[in-house]
Amino acid sequence: MTQFKTKHGYEGLLIVIEGTDGSGKSTQLQLLKKSIQAQSYGVIISEWKTSRLIANVIDDAKERNLLNATTYSLLYAADFADRLENTIIPALKSGFIVLLDRYYYTALARDVVRGQDIEWVKNLYDYAPEPDLIFYLDMPVDVLLKRIIGTTGLNYYESGRDIGFSSDFYKSFEIYQDKCLEQYEKMKSEYNFISIDGTKSIDEIHSIMNHEVQKILDSGVLY
Amino acid sequence: MSKLTEQHNYKGTLVCVEGIDGSGKSTQLALLRDWLKSTGHDVIFTEWNSSELICQTTKLAKKKNMLSPRTFSLLHAVDFADRLKQVIDPALKAGFIVLADRYAYTAFARDVARGVDPQWVRNVYNFAIKPDLAIYFDINPQDAMERICSNRAPKFYEAGMDLKLSNDPYESYIIFQGRVINEYQKMVDEFGLIKLDAMDSIHSKQVRIREMLKSVLNNKGVNI
Repeated sequence: MTQFKTKHGYEGLLIVIEGTDGSGKSTQLQLLKKSIQAQSYGVIISEWKTSRLIANVIDDAKERNLLNATTYSLLYAADFADRLENTIIPALKSGFIVLLDRYYYTALARDVVRGQDIEWVKNLYDYAPEPDLIFYLDMPVDVLLKRIIGTTGLNYYESGRDIGFSSDFYKSFEIYQDKCLEQYEKMKSEYNFISIDGTKSIDEIHSIMNHEVQKILDSGVLY
Repeated sequence: MSKLTEQHNYKGTLVCVEGIDGSGKSTQLALLRDWLKSTGHDVIFTEWNSSELICQTTKLAKKKNMLSPRTFSLLHAVDFADRLKQVIDPALKAGFIVLADRYAYTAFARDVARGVDPQWVRNVYNFAIKPDLAIYFDINPQDAMERICSNRAPKFYEAGMDLKLSNDPYESYIIFQGRVINEYQKMVDEFGLIKLDAMDSIHSKQVRIREMLKSVLNNKGVNI
């Protein structure tokens, strides 16, 4: 087997799961965490929009509809920077496997759908370390819609209602998620996503992911 | 392509003042504002780090020393973007004279002095509208420190203590603000900032500023 080298130069591993809301990311992260832990590796999970600095500001601003496309982008970029500097990079430096629920690809998709110039958004995140693996849970929009309506319900920003695609909630959600999927589709090859059919069973998806992670672990990169 | 290098087409006029704290820019802007109001112009004033959306968070984070150069930069960009879209842009469209106490140049000076990449921060702010008049008050750090620190020590971020340049806040202030000033001076050429000597009298500076503004307004067909 060829010697595996991390793409970011830190000792640990950076593994990302991307996909729209309702695609099953969190479930898979938990499963991955368990299987990695079972092999005595250090592992942490970090989720999108959870910085101590800014996450509650975003929630509050969203609740009061205070955001425009630019402040939306910048607030998420600030949240990301804070988590990157205080959680992700320190963990990578100490040799942890860092599992990420969303990475800056989420921002690229959402911000571009909100009308931002893609180069401007890329610049915001250009200092972010490159992940060692990026899994993308590919879900058709109609399945996504059912999942979300059946669980959390349609939320204002997740339905892109701030953009004004349609005054009909369902229609707006459909258009918004469709446009996000379109952006993810474009990123697949640019960023080497490992695309997985999100309609497969939880176990099947887990075993695909686990296989990829195992290949890297077996290379002895973390010994 | 940055909007900061293209002239805007709004009816209104955008004036900003720049310089480190203690350079007298706010005094000059206040005098200008009162004069413009007394002559019956529609004036609106906006200042750095004052947006409802984020300024309390930034202030709190500064108090707790929670900010890195990158998050410091991004939070101020949020503030600026919010004010630009909510205040500056609509007022310019409506024909106001917008007076801004600090503008994107403050970010370019401070963030770069903190080690942020100059091109990165310029790209972040590339949606900023180019001012019709941007005045920079040049002062040396010793003079500024005498003015603002007569009854208090320099504050943590103001002194650049986050950069660990020195354990002494006064010494750190001089080094850090020296860097900020250095960045401002480079922007005189890059963005056409108009440099005034902060040590000139309040009166002589105000006379110069009014002259410059009159000429800007006359070029737009506004008589004053």
